[in-house]
Amino acid sequence: MDRTPSTKSGAAEIASVLVVVQASLSLVAGLSAIPFAIVEPGFRVLAVVTILMAAAMFWLARNLRRGRRWAWRWLISMELLSLAMTALLSLLPIGTIRGPVPLLVNLVIPTAVVVLLAASNAGTASGPRTPAREDVDGPRRQQHAGDGHAYPFARDPQ
Amino acid sequence: MYDIATDHAGAISAAVLALIFVAAFVFGLRFLATAGVAWAARITHVYDAAPSITKLAAALMLLSGTIHLALVPGHDGITGVLFVIDGLGFIVFAMAAFLTAWWHRPAVLWLAATILAYLVWVIAGWETPDQIGIACNLIELVALGLLMRLANPTRRTWPRRVWRATAFPLMACLTTLGIWVGGLAHPDALHAHAGALLQPVAAVANPEQQAAAAQLLADTRASIARYQDPAAAIAAGFKPGPASSADPLRHFQNSANANVILDPNRPQALVYAQTPHGLQLIGAMFQMPRAGQWGPDPGGPLTQWHQHEGICFSPFGIEFSFETPFWTCPIGSTSITTPPMLHVWIIDNGKNGPFAADLDKAVQRELTGRS
Repeated sequence: MDRTPSTKSGAAEIASVLVVVQASLSLVAGLSAIPFAIVEPGFRVLAVVTILMAAAMFWLARNLRRGRRWAWRWLISMELLSLAMTALLSLLPIGTIRGPVPLLVNLVIPTAVVVLLAASNAGTASGPRTPAREDVDGPRRQQHAGDGHAYPFARDPQ
Repeated sequence: MYDIATDHAGAISAAVLALIFVAAFVFGLRFLATAGVAWAARITHVYDAAPSITKLAAALMLLSGTIHLALVPGHDGITGVLFVIDGLGFIVFAMAAFLTAWWHRPAVLWLAATILAYLVWVIAGWETPDQIGIACNLIELVALGLLMRLANPTRRTWPRRVWRATAFPLMACLTTLGIWVGGLAHPDALHAHAGALLQPVAAVANPEQQAAAAQLLADTRASIARYQDPAAAIAAGFKPGPASSADPLRHFQNSANANVILDPNRPQALVYAQTPHGLQLIGAMFQMPRAGQWGPDPGGPLTQWHQHEGICFSPFGIEFSFETPFWTCPIGSTSITTPPMLHVWIIDNGKNGPFAADLDKAVQRELTGRS
């Protein structure tokens, strides 16, 4: 099937929304560990690390929407690492994946993000650069397309 | 902590069928459009012209609508009526996304109202949070996030920017908090303390079961009396678990007994209380080899096994916290479910009794000075 530029930028937008969902769930996980950190000293560190990681994911999602190549690289690395950890943990008899919620959160969403990131990346090196918001908001948003940051996965300035 | 309610299980099949139906419908339309059918070509054109985010948001709303409709038979009264209205509303919005220009804002309000209504129902105790409800909530949250990205801000003022940046994380936090409060405030009959799932048993023990429970208690008490001194337990192969300031009880586990099933002479663990005068043996813990494998309960409801689930376990310092309803744990910890266990308390365990999942709080306070 022919993959149009707008499909690519749409994939990046959807991926960024899913990353925001993941970041929000991480934020909640970090915040929820704070009460336990009162008596479990190790969770003080884990809670802070998780909240910082959630903040980083929000930032990466924002930069993915802005078409930053490095954000794409970081996100796909994190998602693949997350999927590898899930696969590893599901092999252990500790009941990590039991039911639709852990399946959605730990498997479906990260896989969807990886697929969408791969789709958004396909052909960007040779294909034309297209305003990323065009696909999202339709023609009515094209008036905003010239705001200077809407090119999907522009190469990092080296 | 969050299972799949029996009357909700059908919703999974309905959701899968809905996805297959949508895929088949789109495929069929494309086939007809290719064959030259005019109306199919028009619909295909409208569908293809829609942004990817709209397509996904519509698919998720359709999924949520189908799940709501599939749950109607298990919900009477006003809840059932609202499920019908909600389900039909989502299906209408899923179609309106391709056919109308006005659908966006009402769909956002519908999604937000549905998520908040679920929280109200859960907190009020009118609905027990289970995995189907939470999964449906997650689908709606993702759809809401997609629609929020579709929003076209006319004025880019700072308050609006801050609201756009924080609205979704706030909604996720609020949802988690609401489900948590509801789940902890109104646990179902099979959940003891938070995170412990009880073995389903009959309501009342018959005389034979009462005698068997008394025999198990006597046998266990006689068998573990030799381990009053923790050194004797260590010499017999029991390894002391980590001492935690959060838990006044310490478990000494014997991995050599891992595959033994409810043998009073070979318990999987011994339980000591950390008293001001040192460790005091207060009971034994029997554990099954695998999660979900309930053990024999000779005393019926008196010897009810329990398994801990919904726990975040951190190997750094062997620490625990509760996972969120969305099954997430802090980085560096993982969700675990323990194999079923049965405690036999050889001391007087107050109103909880000799086989309770927990030591009675008053007894614990008296023994250890901590609750």
